[in-house]
Parts: sequence; C-alpha cells; structure tokens
Amino acid sequence: MIVSNWRKALMPIVLSVVLLFSACSSKEPSKYAATQKETAGRNAPAAIAKNAEAGGDFNKFFPQGDSGFARVFSQEKKGFAEAKLNKGGKNVAVMSISDTISLPAAAKKYERSTSKIGSYPLLDEAPLKSTGVLVNNRYQVKVASRDPSFTSADRKAWLQKFNLDGLSKLK
Amino acid sequence: MSKAIFELVDELPTGGLTVMSLNALDFVIPGQWQNLVGFDNTITAVTGTDDPEYIQAIGERAVALYNDRGEGYQTAMWLYNTVDSGSRLLGAAAMANKVGEKFSMLGFLGNITPKAETAQTIDLSVKLVAEIVAYCQINGIPGDSVGDFLAGLADYGGESLMRMTALICFDGLIPLGPDFIGMVMDKMGGMSPDELEGNQTFKGIKDQIPGGDTGGQLGFITESFGSVSGWMSDFVSSRGLSPETIVGNLRNFVDVSDDKLDYLGAFLDVSTNYYVHTGTQTLARRLIERAAAEM
Repeated sequence: MIVSNWRKALMPIVLSVVLLFSACSSKEPSKYAATQKETAGRNAPAAIAKNAEAGGDFNKFFPQGDSGFARVFSQEKKGFAEAKLNKGGKNVAVMSISDTISLPAAAKKYERSTSKIGSYPLLDEAPLKSTGVLVNNRYQVKVASRDPSFTSADRKAWLQKFNLDGLSKLK
Repeated sequence: MSKAIFELVDELPTGGLTVMSLNALDFVIPGQWQNLVGFDNTITAVTGTDDPEYIQAIGERAVALYNDRGEGYQTAMWLYNTVDSGSRLLGAAAMANKVGEKFSMLGFLGNITPKAETAQTIDLSVKLVAEIVAYCQINGIPGDSVGDFLAGLADYGGESLMRMTALICFDGLIPLGPDFIGMVMDKMGGMSPDELEGNQTFKGIKDQIPGGDTGGQLGFITESFGSVSGWMSDFVSSRGLSPETIVGNLRNFVDVSDDKLDYLGAFLDVSTNYYVHTGTQTLARRLIERAAAEM
C-alpha cells in the first residue's frame, strides 16, 4: 500500500520532468519573433518614416566638446544623429537627437514629464541611465551615461548645452 | 529570407578557431576585445540596463531598424559575410573546440594552397574597402566635415579595432611579411583592371565599391589603402608587430613551423571568419545604441 502511494505521488513529478525536458528540447520561439514577423518581408512597414529629418541637419545643434571632454560624431542616419563624449580616451556618454516621427511612442512618453529645460519637457530614465528632452513635440534630445562617473546631473548639464531653441526652429 | 539580427547575434560562437585566433591577438590590443555574444547580453553591455522591459523594447526597435533595408544594416552584414572566405574548413575549426588540445595544421596541409601574392594583396585591400563601405552603411557619414569622419574612424575600439588588428596580422603580416604595406601599395599601383576583375573577393562585393567601372574601382581601392597606410604603419611599429610575434602567440593553440607561414595564412583564411564574427558584434552594438537613443 505504501509502495503504491509512493508511486502515485511520484508519477506527477516524473511526468512534469519529462514534459519539461521535451518542452526545452523543442526550440522556443524567440521573444523577438513577433517583431521579426511584423518588420521583415517585402510589405513590412519601414522603421524610419519617409519624411523624417535628415540626420545631418541635427549636427549643428550639438554642443562642442569642452573641459576635457572630446565630442566625436559617431552616427548620422535618417532621423538620427549621435556623438560620443570621450574623456581621457574613454567613452563616458553618448548624445543624440532623433526624430520621433518614426516612433511616436518615444514622444508620448514625455507626457509623464514633471520638469523642464526652458519650455521643453524633461525625462530621466534611470534604468537606461539616460535623460532626454522633447523639442517641438517632435525632436528627442538625449544624453546617456556610459560610465558611472557621468551622473544624472552631468546628463542634464550637457542637455542644456544643446542649441535647443535652434532645433525648435528646424522646419 | 535573411536571418534575424537577434539570431545572428545569439548564434555567435563562444569557442572555435575564430575566437581562439582573435584571443591570440589580445597581446596587440590588451583587454580591448571581449567576445560578447547573445542579443540581450549585447543590449545590457551597451546600455547598462538589465531591466527586462527596457531590454525587450530596445531589442524590438533594433530588430525593426535592421529589417528596414533602406537603413543599410543588411548591406553591411552582407559585406562582412562576402569578404570572409572562412567556413570552407569550418569542420576543421569545430575540431578545435576540444578544450586544452593543440590544433595541428599538419592534417590539413593537403587541403590548403597558399594564395599567390597578387591574390592576397587584392584580398587585403578589398577587405579594407569593405570595412569602409560597411562603416558608412552602419553609421552614415557622421559629422559635417571630413575631419569629423576621420575622427570617427580614429575612435575605433573594441571589436572594430580587433577586426582591423586581425586584418593587419592575418591578412597582412603573416601571409605577406613585415613589409606588406609598401608591397601592397606597389602591387595595387601597377595593377590592371583585368587582374582585379579576375579576383573572387573583388567580384563578390564589386557592386558595392564606389568608382563606377573596374578601372575607377581600382583607383578607389588603391587610394583607400593609401589613406590608411600611415595608420597601419604606426599601428605595426608602435606595437612592435612582426610575423614572429604573432605566430608565437598563435602557437598556444596551433602547431606551426616557421617555414610554413604562408600555409598558416591560408589556413587562417579558410578556417576562421573573423570579419563576419566581429562585424556582427560591431553592427549589433551600433544598432542597439541607436535603438536605445530613439525609444
């Protein structure tokens, strides 16, 4: 009797182990599979909107490097420009301007903003060690730390060095 | 249909001859290259976040950007793949996975033919041009001046710098010797468009090389090599690189004698795919950097 109870108790455990192993052996679909399906293929929507601003138009609004920080432009794509901030040969932050016309959710998140630089809503995203402002409800200007020495206060200070008013007049 | 970017990054190997041979070059640029594999790992390494929601959102944006053909990322990946002649002997490379065992080239000598100097010269210069074109496809032409662009190139680090190191060592110094830079400049300067046309590596990426016809493309390749020759010479001399120092480090995992260096060059060529390996890592980083900034 005891033996049979013991077997009864064991069966679900054995079964679940077997199920677990067979589930693991068949390849699970990637958590990016749905995005892949939506964005690959001939009729998939473009990731960048046709009328997005040329990345090169953003360059002149970036701050110059100063006080030991070297500014190195690193990407210039449609709707996006990026420059690194290096100190002592080490990358400590990245600065970017992007056109949210391709990604409206990026602009929408500034509705949560509770502070501003000038008239532009400011948002700090701690998990990304990144701080941004939204200019003209369209252009997102961001500074992200790449080294612990570059703090949230540094990010805000560098955001203030951008020519945000100039960017707001970009047509 | 081409593979998804997350699959390409997830499937990067953690061992094998490509990784071992790149690790053997750590002495040239100490600590600069870690073999970062896995899509989510790369997101965390680039942005510093381990928040699952942020990782998912960045990953999804990166996947979409990669899939937008107009953005050039797939062209860059194709370039890295096409100039990498590896994989022909990947079966041999797989055997080198046996941990702690030295890999003997002897068994494969019969399958390897060292390249003629001209073919190697063209391969080296075409790979360099592929790097320049892929750089522009991935990053655009950043900044408002040539100076900005050159500063971007000079800022090479991590896997991009490792790719250039491997190019200089495995495609320059080992197969062509310590004077490879001058030799390539001489040979490219005296080359006819027909000779270039006959080269497989060139033919593979011909459509992506600026210059119009083959004559114009030859000019572009020669000029490109000339413009980075100074950087390469400095790199070689400041780090005291020679075929001997490199082979000395490779000997940790490959048995090779000094009189077989041309075979070693050919062996590395067919048994490693360092261009596409580090190219995938570079592309993933830049893509993720952009995705994180845009979201």
